[in-house]
Amino acid sequence: MTETALRTAPFDKTRVLAWLQSYGVYAGVAMLLIVNTVITPHFLTAENFRTQAVQVAPVVIVALGMALVIGTEGVDLSVGAVMALAASVTALYLGYGLLPALLVVAVFAAGAGLANGALVAFVGVQPIVATLALMVGGRGIALVLLPQLQDLHNPALASLGSGAVAGIPYLILIAAALALLIAFVVRRTTFGRQLLAIGDSRPAAQLAGLPVRRVLVVVYVVCALLAAVAGVLATARLQASDPTSLGNLMELSAITAVVVGGTPLTGGRISIGGTVAGAVLIQLLTATLIKHDLPPSWTQIAQAIVIVCAVYAARGRGKR
Amino acid sequence: MQRTTHRPRLLARPVVVALAAAVALTASACTKSEDDASDDKRSSTAAADTEQKVVTPKPGSKSCTIDAYGAEKIDLKNATVGFSQSEKEANPFRIAETQSLKDEAGKRGVKLLTANAQSQFSKQISDVQDLLAKGADLLVIAPLNSDGWEPVLRAAAAKKVPIVTIDRKINATPCKDYVSFIASDFVEQGRRAADQMIEATGGKGEVAILLGAAGNNVTTERTKGFKERIAEKAPDLKVVFEQTGDFAREKGQQVTEQLIQSKPGIKGVYAENDEMGLGAVAALKGAGKKAGAVKIVTVDGTRNAVQGIVDGWISGVVESNPRFGPLAFQTLDAFTKGEEVPQDVIIEDGAYTGDNAKQDIGKAY
Repeated sequence: MTETALRTAPFDKTRVLAWLQSYGVYAGVAMLLIVNTVITPHFLTAENFRTQAVQVAPVVIVALGMALVIGTEGVDLSVGAVMALAASVTALYLGYGLLPALLVVAVFAAGAGLANGALVAFVGVQPIVATLALMVGGRGIALVLLPQLQDLHNPALASLGSGAVAGIPYLILIAAALALLIAFVVRRTTFGRQLLAIGDSRPAAQLAGLPVRRVLVVVYVVCALLAAVAGVLATARLQASDPTSLGNLMELSAITAVVVGGTPLTGGRISIGGTVAGAVLIQLLTATLIKHDLPPSWTQIAQAIVIVCAVYAARGRGKR
Repeated sequence: MQRTTHRPRLLARPVVVALAAAVALTASACTKSEDDASDDKRSSTAAADTEQKVVTPKPGSKSCTIDAYGAEKIDLKNATVGFSQSEKEANPFRIAETQSLKDEAGKRGVKLLTANAQSQFSKQISDVQDLLAKGADLLVIAPLNSDGWEPVLRAAAAKKVPIVTIDRKINATPCKDYVSFIASDFVEQGRRAADQMIEATGGKGEVAILLGAAGNNVTTERTKGFKERIAEKAPDLKVVFEQTGDFAREKGQQVTEQLIQSKPGIKGVYAENDEMGLGAVAALKGAGKKAGAVKIVTVDGTRNAVQGIVDGWISGVVESNPRFGPLAFQTLDAFTKGEEVPQDVIIEDGAYTGDNAKQDIGKAY
């Protein structure tokens, strides 16, 4: 009797941890929603949910790209810098109109992604080191291109930032569409399968004849493009290009969202729904603390606690 | 064998870097931003009226002479002045500050060496040591931090180089480690912002503060002055919300969005710099509020914020004058001639309100 009891106890613990890793983030979001409904005045209003969704949209978009990179057992630290780069390039080329400016932004972002991907896939540099170079250098280039904040008055850009369809801002629609697209790519396409296989075991994927290098480069390019989309949207919302502070610490927010959402840093598994929920969880947590006027240091401590919990839950699954 | 297999890799990186640089260069050659004309407007309005004025020193305030300091008299005209800037010139305040020193040096025909620490304190220390090594006879420092200056002060003392610090203070003995400190009174700026807020709101209701970056003396002093004056003059005005906007526009916008959600009855927002104030304006516009529905008072006096007053979104801006050049050189000139100079030179800052914003916008930086 005692023996079976001893055996089942740790078994249950791992099951709880596994459940927490997959669904803990949704439970967290639900809990915050309930708590806020009770304690926060004016929380249950459409206006409030719109504000939270609009604020979280850029983080979600960046986190989607980050989830793909982490799925390949990599990490991209340069996303914040790419956002800043996108902001300054937008400002520089807006004179030609919004669409040409966006095309140039895409070219710059793809270039940044190519540089990251090439360093990781061909030169064989560790992802954390390869993208660190661009994290520092990318913001530097952004500041060389546009040394200080510039106000933007383009009406098309303004409507992209604050316009809405049937009461739902473009920002939210774009973020939702991208999330669905990335989820589809991960689950239903060959590319998604190859990506996960590489993240699971790169040597095995290589031996199986998968196009490892090509997939890796594409993943880093996609991640940079998504970061650029987020950078343009944040710029459109602010109606000013601010390469000095736009996207500061974004890489940390994105990694947090991905990890809290139940995607292991060891690669081979991606949870897109969890990633979105992870970003929402951090947003709600920050909003709660701000709305109740608690000191900003509390926000950081609360985030740290959430990350520790998420990593603890992931511990059981991470090693196989 | 190994060597040959590695060679293409070693070559790859410089080639990639060169390619990237080439792309960046060609791409930036044909840029076209929205309003290229705005830059010309900016530089043409450096009117004489914008010069810093000194608050009349209180009787009994301490001063410093060259004999007490232990340096030798020199003629400023033949001297080399070293200027160490703390933060990169990416915001209007730093741009105007550096430009003002350069302009004044040019006007006086003094050789000026400049360095920028890019917000890294260790770099600022080595910057100043470099300036000393390059033969600076006098130093003007805009310190990033107040503490940790001992190595520099020792090196300067060994060479008997007088130091003037601007906009932030160094924690050291005046007239021994440095000559004087020239700056605005940040507590006073907070008090004057409170006065503007009281006038704009009628002294009643709930107001919010957008704090600057945490752990910065500018933040604490601007907060202290504001709260003191509110408590003293308008006890019916309550500060119900204090959150940091990190001196950045986007953060100011996000925090203000949360604020107007949770406290729809808020009457005023005090932003501790212009950028956060402009972020608050963006948030109010996004929430469909009308100009002037929430009173915004900011500190700095940048052109965008003063334009905000003209447009009706901002109620008042308390100036924090960054044009340190004339006053810094005046102090150095008097000091090197052997005259007495005050240890603390406090600047008299202006203010912009609905009454003077339109005609004085040329003074904004």
